[in-house]
Amino acid sequence: MASVKRKRHHDDAEDATPRKLRTRAAQEEEENDDDEEGSEEPDVQTPSRRQAPAVNATPRSILKKGGLFNGGNGATPKSTRKLVFETPSKAAKDGTTIVRNADRSARRKSNRRFIERTLNGDSDEEALDEEEALAEQILSDQEEAADDQEGGQPEAAVPDTPSKRGRGRPKGSGTGKKSKLRKERSPTPPQHLPPHEEYFYQNRPGGAKTSNNTLSAQSLLNHDEYFSTMQTYAERHEPEMEFLLELHSRAHDQWIFELEEGFNICLYGYGSKRPITEAFTAHLYKQLIGQEPYKGTKKTPRIVVINGYAPGTTLKDILVTIASACMPSSIKLPNQPTALLNFILDYLFDHEPAHPIPIILNSIDSPYLRKSPAAMLLAALAAHPSINLVCTADTPTFPLLWDVGLKAQYKFLFHDATTFAPYDAEIDVVESVNELLGRSGRRIGGRDGVGFVLRSLPENARALFRILVTEQLALLYMDDAGGEVDAPATPKNKKVATAKTSASESNQGVEYRTLYHKAVEEFVCSSEVGFRTLLKEFHDHQMIESRKDAMGTERLFVPFRQEELEGLAEDLSGDAL
Amino acid sequence: MEHERCYIYTPPEAEERPSKRQRTSDFNPQSQLAERLSTYRKIWAQQEQRIQATLEEADSKTQEKIVNFVSASAPVENAPQTSIPTGLVVAGPSIASHGPFFARLGRSIRDETNSAYVVLTSAESPNLKTLLKNLIKRVTSRIEEDDDDDIRPTASSRHGPKVLDFDLSHVQEWQKKNRTRSIVVALQDSEAFDTRILIELVDLFHCWLDRLPFVLLVGIATSTESFEDRLSGKSIRYLDGQKFDVTQSDVIIEKLFSATVANTDVPVRIGPDLSRRLLDRQKDHVQNVHDFIDGLKYAYMSHFYASYPTVLLKEKVAFKDLSSEAFEAVRNLPSFKRWVEELLDNNQAHDVRKLLESDQYLYQQVTEHIESGQNALNTLSNAATLLTCIRESLQMAPSIRLSNIWTRAAAGELSGAPLLRETLLSVKKASSDKLAPLFASLKELDIDTSPLDQDIFQKELEKLVEDNVGSGPLRSQDDVRNDSLRTTVIAQKVLLSKHKAALSEQDKAYSSLVARFNDGLERYFASAFIDPRTLFLSEILMYDLKSPHTEVFQPKPRFAMERALASPHDYLGCDCCSGKQGGESILSTTQPATAILYQLYLESGTLINVSDLWSAFNAIAGDDEDESKTM
Repeated sequence: MASVKRKRHHDDAEDATPRKLRTRAAQEEEENDDDEEGSEEPDVQTPSRRQAPAVNATPRSILKKGGLFNGGNGATPKSTRKLVFETPSKAAKDGTTIVRNADRSARRKSNRRFIERTLNGDSDEEALDEEEALAEQILSDQEEAADDQEGGQPEAAVPDTPSKRGRGRPKGSGTGKKSKLRKERSPTPPQHLPPHEEYFYQNRPGGAKTSNNTLSAQSLLNHDEYFSTMQTYAERHEPEMEFLLELHSRAHDQWIFELEEGFNICLYGYGSKRPITEAFTAHLYKQLIGQEPYKGTKKTPRIVVINGYAPGTTLKDILVTIASACMPSSIKLPNQPTALLNFILDYLFDHEPAHPIPIILNSIDSPYLRKSPAAMLLAALAAHPSINLVCTADTPTFPLLWDVGLKAQYKFLFHDATTFAPYDAEIDVVESVNELLGRSGRRIGGRDGVGFVLRSLPENARALFRILVTEQLALLYMDDAGGEVDAPATPKNKKVATAKTSASESNQGVEYRTLYHKAVEEFVCSSEVGFRTLLKEFHDHQMIESRKDAMGTERLFVPFRQEELEGLAEDLSGDAL
Repeated sequence: MEHERCYIYTPPEAEERPSKRQRTSDFNPQSQLAERLSTYRKIWAQQEQRIQATLEEADSKTQEKIVNFVSASAPVENAPQTSIPTGLVVAGPSIASHGPFFARLGRSIRDETNSAYVVLTSAESPNLKTLLKNLIKRVTSRIEEDDDDDIRPTASSRHGPKVLDFDLSHVQEWQKKNRTRSIVVALQDSEAFDTRILIELVDLFHCWLDRLPFVLLVGIATSTESFEDRLSGKSIRYLDGQKFDVTQSDVIIEKLFSATVANTDVPVRIGPDLSRRLLDRQKDHVQNVHDFIDGLKYAYMSHFYASYPTVLLKEKVAFKDLSSEAFEAVRNLPSFKRWVEELLDNNQAHDVRKLLESDQYLYQQVTEHIESGQNALNTLSNAATLLTCIRESLQMAPSIRLSNIWTRAAAGELSGAPLLRETLLSVKKASSDKLAPLFASLKELDIDTSPLDQDIFQKELEKLVEDNVGSGPLRSQDDVRNDSLRTTVIAQKVLLSKHKAALSEQDKAYSSLVARFNDGLERYFASAFIDPRTLFLSEILMYDLKSPHTEVFQPKPRFAMERALASPHDYLGCDCCSGKQGGESILSTTQPATAILYQLYLESGTLINVSDLWSAFNAIAGDDEDESKTM
């Protein structure tokens, strides 16, 4: 990866990316400034300046000339007039030489620095940054000069006619072309390095500079916006993705053949592979039900489907499901996974099923199945001739999970099954964003979800939830008020307040006792037992969370942000539910 | 969006029959698949038999030795053992084959000696307690009833104190009942065991040795020395070791190769490219016999699954079994085209017309050519084996393996190659004491050497050797020892001249024999080492495609993923995202959001400011507001 990235890094001179564009634009601007300065220069200084280069015909002069021609305002009558006044010899002695010499020495210096830098590595790159920019500018000036001298105006690249391109890599887009391009462009000399040096050159540290921009807190999405946007979002590549799926579905018969021959199958590639496994399972089911032990009978083939990505998937669940698929339910199963596995394998040896039991395992590399015994036991399972395993792997480096021994047991055939389908089941977007933002708690589909649950609950429960929400909001307002006292009334104070709430998060929420008393006061419940049953319902739907604060008292809170809480409170009081 | 963890599949209610039927109505790419697959199964069954035989033969000797060791080291009455008999099984670096090896070993030990056999791996022995629990469980084949260990009330409570779960007296009790001669404990991957556990285990076994007849087998992947280094001197004194070398996987692979690919009686082979690939992979990456077998099997599978004309490989395929599509497929083979062009060059246009028009005539030709092609390939394998054998018995350096020679021969590189000339030259120079064993070993080869009239040569040679009165062996005229260099000085110039020593009558006769044998060999090799790819129907007789093989066995998931994200057009093939700048696809709004993000990520440095990333993304993706939506 690193190397790819680095390569890209080198390339970015020619990549037409927005980032690079920006910097390049900046550079150009600087250059333009330079040019402008150059053209302004003669006006400010004596006319001789202007003339002298024309006579001397140094590279610099040609550059200037070219620049003037390019600018379209070259050879103005002004310049000719000035020619009359001064003699060329005098001009040579003038300040231009000094400037040029200074330039030259700067060039030399910067050259030296470049060499030094390549020799020493660029540890103190940041310190030298400004000087370097200057040096680079000078160097590039020189380069341009050389360019102009050689061939005058470089030919403008003729853009290729946009033609439709088929699937797959276009011809001639290999590395050769790229490297050639890079060679022309690269400013520092990385050529002819021994391989190990090249590695370190490509992986050298540095350039770890970022800007100080921050995301403003206001632009964050909340749940409602997220869900509504997601619902309206239309996938642009829907037909192409359908086509990919259809392509993969053509391989179904081949996969079945491979399974029959005792191999197991592992699918990889970008995109969720659940649609593929679903389609394949259906296909396999149809195929099996048309075959011998099922044909004409009411029996149905049993295909085990395991969603490895589902949180909390344990090996025991898997093994129990497999056991239920291959043996009668009357048999008592051992408790330990290892023992259970051995039991299943022995059973399968003794009672060979009519066909190997198919196991469809989504995301074999999910964190839940990565723990140490799981891979070993799965491999032992997969090695059994009466088991057919079809699994999918999502991470790009999944083969590292298994050593040679396990791989030999798995007997995998790997197939690229890129789908571009969203990982909507495998990755919980809301959850991971919340984690990123330091919020906790699982949501049950935002405010609407809460509303849905509440509608199905009795009146008392709704009342209790309303109390909780209003109490929590009251606490938040109190916090806000506190913040306002401290901070001056600037437009920013809201931000300050939110920062404060997140800082005092441990105090967030309503004390259990307080809530109970409130509930009793409002005749929501009469006893603590009743109160607890009501809370349990909320807990089950992950609508509330409890936390112990610093004092050890239990606090309950609804895991939503202030705005959403306000919305909820409105809904609750306004009989919307 | 509730996703169940595990469930048994039930089909959705909706029936989708009509769409299904539509597909079967049009052209079926898999016609006659069943026939092809049955042919495949038949041919592969033969190969599998050969493989099994080779594998069993490969380590049967070592296994026998180990079994003998186990039965010999059982304790004798009244002679207490002072150290644990230990077999150091050097099984080599291919750890994948250790498991099957120890499983086979266990079977033969259990069958042939009255012993209990337990294999322990490092993964299930994180500490001594667990190790012992597993050991006891396996030995006494007791099924654990409960999860809560340690407090299990045992039957022995009547006889005394409760016995803990990991107490070897369980085994003692069991041993009292069963009276096995020895308890064999095999540590499959000794390198991975914690040294402390190993030492403790040895100590413990030694303590129990007066009551339990332990035999230890230690699987070693590195060397016995490194195993010894890990143990303390005290523990080593408790062990009575003997070393066993297991046949290394590369030797087995070589044997497998000669049995399956270079065999002279195989209807279908894998081609030189594929076999080179398989062998290289073995050498460089896996060193696993089963992987080789899998690779071979998959090659056969793909051949019969994907290539329609393989239906012709069915034994005694009749004309009426074949559809016209099969012949159409044959007519599209590149080798058919080559053949036809050849015929046209020979002015056999009439035949060509017939081939193109009459299926019946083509059928005849194809059946003939399949047979002749198979014969040619068999001869080629035959010659390769012969060449290897000659080189081996003449002890020529460098020693080149059959697999190497065969792949070169099958690639058509061997006719007139230096290797061949060199070998023939050494045959020419061979003296009678070398030639005799050569003939003998040729005779031992179970290949067809009849084109050489080798029996006649052998008889002649025997006669000549009998008649030989001289002390030394018979030498041919090309033998260097019959040459002598003579230096003459004429007008202060040194002249070097080679002289043949005068040959005796017997030597002359021997020389002519060697010359005739050599000529025979040369002719035979010249006729055998053809380029098989020029044969008509070589595509059917030889499977040499790299494409599905590499992807299936050596996937590049990371590359696939990066490619999908870096240039989604390669997969999606849509109109909107194709790069227009000579393949370097530019970032466009239409690409999948994740792809855009990934490419932005590629362009950034080691640290990324999320805000910048977001604004860059926003600049491209337009009206999208937040990066959280991209997933």
